[in-house]
Amino acid sequence: MKKTKNQKILNFALVFCILIFGFWISCFAQEGNKLAGLTKQVIEAKNNSDLYAPFSELKDIYFKENKYSEFSEFLTSLLAKNKALEPFINYYIALSRYQQLKYLEEKQNWDEYFSQGNNYRDQVAANLEKTISLTAKNDPLHIYGQLLLWQFHRDQQDAFEEEALLNLMNYVAEYANDTSDIQPIKLTADKLASYGEKGKSKELYKIFVDKMLASNITEEELSKAALEFYKQANLDLSEVLYDAYIARITKPDNKEKVIPILIDIAKAFSYKDNGPSDMSYAEQIFQKIEELGPDGVFNEALMYLRAYNLEKAKEYRRARDIYLGLIKIAPEGAHVDEAEYKVGIIYVYVLKDIKTGKGYFEKLAQKETLSPQGASALYQLGLLAHWENDFVKAKEYYNQLLERAKEGFSDTVALAKTRLKEIDAASPIDYNLQAFLGASLKEDSMNIDAAKSNLSVSLYAPKKDQEVKILSGSYELENGCMQVELQYLWSGELGKITVPSEQLSLSPALNTSYADAGTKVINVLIISPTGAVDRGLVMVDVY
Amino acid sequence: MKLSSNKIKSHKDTRAQSHKDTRKRQHWCLCVFVPLVCLVFLLGMASVPKPKVYIQKLKNGHFKLMVERKPYIVKGVCYNPIPIGKNHEYDWWSDPNKPWLVDGKLMKEMGVNTIRVYQPGEDSEAVKRVIRDLYEQYGIRTILGHWLGFWEYPCPLYGDQVFEDRIKKEVLDMVATYKDEPGVLLWILGNENNFSCLGQVNPWSTDEIDKEPDPQKQKVMKARTYYSYVGEITQEIHKIDPDHPVALGNGELIGLEYAKDSCPDVDLVACIIYRGKTFGNLFKSLKVTFDKPLLLSEFGADAYDAYRKKEDQNMQAFFLESQWRQIYGNLANSENGIGNCIGGIMFEWGDEWWKYNQSSPETWSVQDKESNWSNGSYYFDIQAAGNKNMNEEWFGIVALSPEQEFGLDKRIPRKAYYVIREFWKNPVLDDKGKKKGKSK
Repeated sequence: MKKTKNQKILNFALVFCILIFGFWISCFAQEGNKLAGLTKQVIEAKNNSDLYAPFSELKDIYFKENKYSEFSEFLTSLLAKNKALEPFINYYIALSRYQQLKYLEEKQNWDEYFSQGNNYRDQVAANLEKTISLTAKNDPLHIYGQLLLWQFHRDQQDAFEEEALLNLMNYVAEYANDTSDIQPIKLTADKLASYGEKGKSKELYKIFVDKMLASNITEEELSKAALEFYKQANLDLSEVLYDAYIARITKPDNKEKVIPILIDIAKAFSYKDNGPSDMSYAEQIFQKIEELGPDGVFNEALMYLRAYNLEKAKEYRRARDIYLGLIKIAPEGAHVDEAEYKVGIIYVYVLKDIKTGKGYFEKLAQKETLSPQGASALYQLGLLAHWENDFVKAKEYYNQLLERAKEGFSDTVALAKTRLKEIDAASPIDYNLQAFLGASLKEDSMNIDAAKSNLSVSLYAPKKDQEVKILSGSYELENGCMQVELQYLWSGELGKITVPSEQLSLSPALNTSYADAGTKVINVLIISPTGAVDRGLVMVDVY
Repeated sequence: MKLSSNKIKSHKDTRAQSHKDTRKRQHWCLCVFVPLVCLVFLLGMASVPKPKVYIQKLKNGHFKLMVERKPYIVKGVCYNPIPIGKNHEYDWWSDPNKPWLVDGKLMKEMGVNTIRVYQPGEDSEAVKRVIRDLYEQYGIRTILGHWLGFWEYPCPLYGDQVFEDRIKKEVLDMVATYKDEPGVLLWILGNENNFSCLGQVNPWSTDEIDKEPDPQKQKVMKARTYYSYVGEITQEIHKIDPDHPVALGNGELIGLEYAKDSCPDVDLVACIIYRGKTFGNLFKSLKVTFDKPLLLSEFGADAYDAYRKKEDQNMQAFFLESQWRQIYGNLANSENGIGNCIGGIMFEWGDEWWKYNQSSPETWSVQDKESNWSNGSYYFDIQAAGNKNMNEEWFGIVALSPEQEFGLDKRIPRKAYYVIREFWKNPVLDDKGKKKGKSK
């Protein structure tokens, strides 16, 4: 009985193995069939345009398994069968060796890298030269060859990089004059953008869009294409398309139709914690709305969005102006407390106009119902008096906050309690905070524009208790090999910090979360052994 | 009086004859005197000896270093053979086991033709012996440098006459002492001293600079003060030693826009560059900023992976090979390069085990695996804690072993030794598949 059971298991395992083996054989055969099919397509192709797809598929099959040398050998064998394939074969051998070098470096396969590296590099350059010389300027393969040649030199940052880029741009421009297939233009622009060549990529996107416009594309198609590229996070191309679209739809007699479209575009590009945004482009569109729209085109929500977008772009002066506009048009609106508080902060800490800033804090503090920003304003008033050594007034504000906050605003209340303890103990304000206040408010303090600081936040609008990462971008001091240890003096509304306080001053980043809603101001002062080198602040709105 | 036609003819003939004679004489003059004058001129030229080492500017604006009238590509290493357990105060110049002989042999086999020392030792006879031994036995030349008081306590006092005079005297004494050594290649003044003008390292100032309220203007004033001082020393060196070029040691290209006006007499710029796989736009930037020949006087990579916490010789070899490729791509007459590079000096020949924790002698016998600086361009191990990936005690082309050989810590060439040796044997000068002649 037991034997029979074991026999059954054995039989089952045997059948399973046979099935797996069969499946594997079938996959292998399928792949083999696919290769054979593609090879046949390549050899029997009647013209060049029929070669792009099968070569690309062949490349994908080999590259998927990092079989670069095998692909090169396969391509060389193809050449023996059909000499006319030479430009393609040269290009794909170059591409294969180019990818192979990257792969060897990435996988740190150094034996092959050092023994074959120069050989592969030679093959890349020589094969691309051949491809370029064997193809006409209006052949997409010519452009792909030029593009890969530039990438190759760019990666090596060698002496040919500049010439290769110049050639590439010139050849794409020539190509654009003489062809209707515009995909190579876009592909080149995409690649340039991915290498950080923003100016050049925009130039080519412009050519790409001009060609699209010349092809009688409808307004609807243009808008659809712009939105599609926006969704793909290709904002550069999306912006060029939207610009063309806006130019096409804007006519003196249809402003009413255009404004809602512009508003949608501005909303799409404005800052948001999740999703693509280009704050500078959004502001351009806001300006366009202002230019075209009637008085009152900016309602409360739109004005808030514009101010918020400018604030996140650290364009604090402009943000202040728009927040002031918002306060004016919607004095009882949903965002007015936030706007007044932010205007106060900008006046005090960015523009060093303490008096005007205090005025906004006072206005908030005097409101009958204490909002989160009202509580923070009371704290700020206390802090500024504290810093000015007016301890009586400082205590008055802090106590007023404790009294009016009751059980709420725990983050702000905790700060006020700490300050009160300092006053009662006749001890100085917390060192980090004192240093930041000194660097920001003193007449003779360093002339560093906090708006230009390199502070960023993972979420500017987190929920309560949601983790937020605040990062001071790498601050590069020019010291060569003599490294200078920088200190990051974090202060302000730091919430529940997860970094131990003894490590905090060495860390350019901190993770935190907040228990209460409201606008939280976080400060940092960066110190080198010879003194302060930078300061910054950010505002986080907790909901 | 009227002359007869015959007479006229005769006169004409005489005149013609006279012309012929004059022409003959002129011809004779041309044939004899011109070559004679040329010969005298050439002999005169020949009697003005060329400096032993000089920079030649080519018609295409490229620069070549000429040594004994032959082009010379600097294939160098920084050299500071501190044994395990000692620190920078150790006088290796007087080491009875003569480490430079063991190292010189290995260097020659690798293809190194130059060493760079940051400042000679105090015993000039010992220093001369090292320079001679390396040159006579292995053909290796020596670049001598001077710190220009950069490490003086509490700080270098550029702009202070007493300080400047003292340092200048030290430099000129160095030049006078070693200028006749056949193995000397050139002088480098300073290293990364220019960073002190920015105020973050070894900061210094003067009363006049302190009066300037604008910190940016203060930096400019400091740069001008420092570079003018280097220019002044350069002029003095040229007076006593026309045979060797003077290089301005400089960290990156920072401040060179002021050097252009303040020390135009320096013969070349010796830059300290740590930019990872390549030097980026360095060669072009220098051409635009301060059109002088460029010696990469300190560059390289360490051989310790601070992220995986293990030695990684391949990583070091990878960076060095890539860096040398770019150096060769920018030598004189390179097809598309800038042509202002005269070679490079890798940091460094051998590991130095004292460097990480200089104040704790007990750590000098241990090769520390800790890093105290970060450089994102060396990307393989940048994910190390705190991004600190540069391991100061692991920069050697040769590693040291506590095992003794010839009375010295045993030298163990790393992979970079072999990779660079092969590169120098067969350098790739451009990427269009054209190989050029082997360098010296």
